[in-house]
Amino acid sequence: MTCTRRTFLRFSLVSAVSMTAKQAFAQGVATHKAKPVVRHAPSGRPFNAHFVDVAAAAGLSAPTIYGGVESKKYILESTGCGCAFIDYDNDGWLDIFLLCGTRIEAAPPAATNRLYKNNRDGTFTDVTQKAGLHAIGWASGVCVGDYNNDGFEDMFCTYFGQNILYRNNGDGTFTDVTKAAGLLNDQPRWGAGCSFLDYNRDGHLDLFVSNYVRFSIEHAPVPGENTNCNWKGIPVECGPRGLPTGWHSLYRNNGDGTFSDVSQLAGIARATQCYGMTVVAADLDEDGWPDIYVACDSTPSLLFMNNHDGTFREEGVLRGVALSDDGEEQAGMGVAIGDYDLDGHLDLFKTHFADDANVLYHNDGKGAFDDVTRASRVGVETRYVCWGAGIVDLDNDGCPDLFMVTGNVYPEVERKLPQYQNKTPRAVFRNLGNSTFEELIDAAGPGVAEEHCSRGCAFGDFDNDGDVDILIVNLNETPSLLRNDLIGNQNWVKVKLEGVKSNRSAIGARVLAHYGGKTQAQSVLSQCSFYSCNDPRLHFGLGTHTTVDLEVRWPNGMVEVFKRMPVNRLVTLREGAGMVQNRGWLKS
Amino acid sequence: MKYAVVAQMRRPLVSIKRSVGLAILLLACRSLAFSQIQESQVEPISSALRAGEFDKAVELSRFALKASPSNAQLWTLQGIAYAGKGDGKQALTSFQRALKISPNNIAALAGAAQIEYQEGNQSAMPLLNHLLQLRPADPTAHAMLAVLEYRQGHCGAAVPHFEKAGQLLDTQLDALHALATCLVRLKRLDDAAATFQRAVALHPDDRRERHLLASIQLMAHKPEDALSTLRPLLETKEVDANTLQLASTAAESAGNTPQAVSTLRQALLLDPRNVSLYLDFANICFAHESFQVGVDVISEGLMLQPSAEELYVARGVLYAQLAQYDKAEADFEKAYDLNPNQSLSAAAQGLVAVQANDLDHALASIQSKLARNPNDPLLLYLQADVLSQKGVDPGTPEFQLAMRSARRAVTLQPALAAARAVLAKLYMQTGAYKEAIEQCRKALTSDPKDQTAVYRLIQALRKTGQKKEIPELLQRLAQLREQATQEERERYRYKLFEQDAPGQQPTQP
Repeated sequence: MTCTRRTFLRFSLVSAVSMTAKQAFAQGVATHKAKPVVRHAPSGRPFNAHFVDVAAAAGLSAPTIYGGVESKKYILESTGCGCAFIDYDNDGWLDIFLLCGTRIEAAPPAATNRLYKNNRDGTFTDVTQKAGLHAIGWASGVCVGDYNNDGFEDMFCTYFGQNILYRNNGDGTFTDVTKAAGLLNDQPRWGAGCSFLDYNRDGHLDLFVSNYVRFSIEHAPVPGENTNCNWKGIPVECGPRGLPTGWHSLYRNNGDGTFSDVSQLAGIARATQCYGMTVVAADLDEDGWPDIYVACDSTPSLLFMNNHDGTFREEGVLRGVALSDDGEEQAGMGVAIGDYDLDGHLDLFKTHFADDANVLYHNDGKGAFDDVTRASRVGVETRYVCWGAGIVDLDNDGCPDLFMVTGNVYPEVERKLPQYQNKTPRAVFRNLGNSTFEELIDAAGPGVAEEHCSRGCAFGDFDNDGDVDILIVNLNETPSLLRNDLIGNQNWVKVKLEGVKSNRSAIGARVLAHYGGKTQAQSVLSQCSFYSCNDPRLHFGLGTHTTVDLEVRWPNGMVEVFKRMPVNRLVTLREGAGMVQNRGWLKS
Repeated sequence: MKYAVVAQMRRPLVSIKRSVGLAILLLACRSLAFSQIQESQVEPISSALRAGEFDKAVELSRFALKASPSNAQLWTLQGIAYAGKGDGKQALTSFQRALKISPNNIAALAGAAQIEYQEGNQSAMPLLNHLLQLRPADPTAHAMLAVLEYRQGHCGAAVPHFEKAGQLLDTQLDALHALATCLVRLKRLDDAAATFQRAVALHPDDRRERHLLASIQLMAHKPEDALSTLRPLLETKEVDANTLQLASTAAESAGNTPQAVSTLRQALLLDPRNVSLYLDFANICFAHESFQVGVDVISEGLMLQPSAEELYVARGVLYAQLAQYDKAEADFEKAYDLNPNQSLSAAAQGLVAVQANDLDHALASIQSKLARNPNDPLLLYLQADVLSQKGVDPGTPEFQLAMRSARRAVTLQPALAAARAVLAKLYMQTGAYKEAIEQCRKALTSDPKDQTAVYRLIQALRKTGQKKEIPELLQRLAQLREQATQEERERYRYKLFEQDAPGQQPTQP
């Protein structure tokens, strides 16, 4: 009977690094495990960005209700939701939209999504009711875009149940036009990530929606009920492993306020074996057409490459962004997109579960990616469950940094395993300028070091002072608004695009900023981070450089170059018309 | 299991050699009937041979050969006579003289081959091959050649000869075992099972034969067949623990975990000191993530077998899954104290530190053990793997050490697929894609289900612009993933609980 002994040893020891880990920790939202790579000695270089949480002073006083506080019975309570920086009233000042969940037993009074109007003095006013955005439910993601090209940003919110399209009426109010737009589900689904994009380049924003799992409270298993409902021997909520996967949808904008489901026609519906989460749409292979990347939880992430004929081909594994470098599925949740090494190509950063590294993918410019997690030293951190993230230049030194928020999904676990805290700090990975990063937590200010159970986050300059601030969703707490109190005299430029032939929001446009012999690429996005939407104004830190050339690749294919643009100001560029007057910017 | 079967196969080959030898003699006599030598010289010698008067036959042949020294038939008869006397050396000389004169002399070929074969000489092989050129369907020659190839470990060459030996094998239990062993090595598990069926048919009441057949059926992923094979043994009053253990394995493989657990419990009642039964229990608990139950059962086993280092290793693994790393390490240390010569507990000590995210401690632990066993492939692989996990950069001494360790590990144990995976990863990091491709391919030879190897192979091929193979590999990876998901789903159907009340069974969700 050496068979069983041999089998046992094979499973438990010889391959313990891979097989054991894979099997023993395969449930929940994680599969792959990675060990933290060795930290190098601190660089000793000062970090000029300093983050302070000013949410309370700014008036962001309502908590984000989301499931149980001490424990979660269902996965529905744990994945959380996103947020958006949106200038809904076109006054040139970023307003704040925060999604919200509810509770299994009953919705508390505070449970609603919230819109906060920017008072332009560092404070905000809750205008949810007035704007017609009061809504109770299990909200997941938000994406922003002017789908009807009327000059006002609209919003699409995903939900467990029924997603909602809010049309911005241009008068400070929104209307739920889901039904009229043809976006009602024929059955309840768990909408997750979403993104507006103009996949067929007709000037109208189409819509992609990822779905997480097929789920119903009535039929869902409960903690401890089966092996997918235990984590390190502790009964916890079940899933996503063991639950049926969702499927994803692409809706074509008909140009008349309605959408048509083209998921089958476009080849999106073929990708069925994945738990879809955050969606980013950008031109990753630089062929002028937007591609779609979907972070997937515990299953291979998806990369839909645009075939230029209304269809897509899924090439995540082939292009190296579906799996870990060991070929194993990871708990893909949040996605950041940016150009960390200033080579003019859009790289990807995807966040994962605890005991795994977040992964940084380097783009070769043709849409083929290399996992540079270890080489870039991003792999030093594996302690936290990570969610929203950004590749953003926090200290304006011209080298985009990484930022991520964290928070566990099993609040009950910390009582038995104190090393797995429910509330954990945020983390900054400061770009050292040589394609490597240095993790900073305390050194980036109290707003970073504070511990919360966070999910979505959005990046934007809410106080229009020329740096990047951060809005963060904290589950069952009030949100965080990290004001960046940047010191020093580093230069910067912000770019606001207005499409004319292209979609009005210019979503999908790629901007190349040339400074100091380097080129940094950014793209106008409708969603990234985790289920969230950033400031549509692209922010480029420039370090000590005092001039910048801008190259704009518009969604419809037009390329415009703007030489020696002024710095330390917002630049608004209208497609085919050049630089136009800014809205609401006082400091130019 | 494979090795268990192989071990069972080594012993019987002596007896097949004897029986095949007798057959060769008969063949030689038959061939003489067709010889062309003159009746007057041959008849007296043949008569003496038939009468078993071998000394007389030798004398007569010696006399006849003085008159006709170039007569191959006479040399052949002399060889047979010597063989009858038991003088193999002289017999072989006579057969060789005959073959020098007449290379296609079937009787001389057969006689010489028989003697060489009996002596265990590989020089029998060209003789048998020559014989088979002349008599391609000769079952005896095929059987002998098959055995010789088998003894050299050439299963690929042996199996066709075994198969051509046909019914000759049906009465030869040992030959059937040899054939089945080769079929297992060639991964022709269904054919191996069919061969063992023939062995069971020869001895239907032989418990060992049924165990072997059931084991092969389990390897062939036919647990239901294995249970059918074992059923006659399970229905007797004298059912033994080994049979129950096999039946438990079969039930678990068939997805019937409650039955597997209940059968294993029965086995433990019969043989409570049997360490492998506890290991099986731990295996089931591990597969179903019922780690605490596994710990408790192993602890009971340790009360009866306090010196069983395997039980400490197994419990340590289970503790590690429960994140109880101190207890895990203590168990691995105890296992190492009990048997410092086995590398498993030494490796496990390193692994538990890996699992606890303490890579420096893991490396120190592995390296201290490596100092005593510098050529342990498992420890070398782990050293490479831990260094790789630490994120050592190409060009650094640590990276070179990782590379050397991985290379040494695969040299010492070429089938250690995990070491090849690490080596491929290191090659990928240095841009040595060609070498990475080679390692991935070798890893896949050892383990065709290795998703990591398939994935790395795709990436390495992409890097080298070799895109032709990629679509097939993508499809293969998708199939492997799907298969793994299915298997995982099956594995997770049950969870084991402590038995608080009599008769309580594992629950099904």
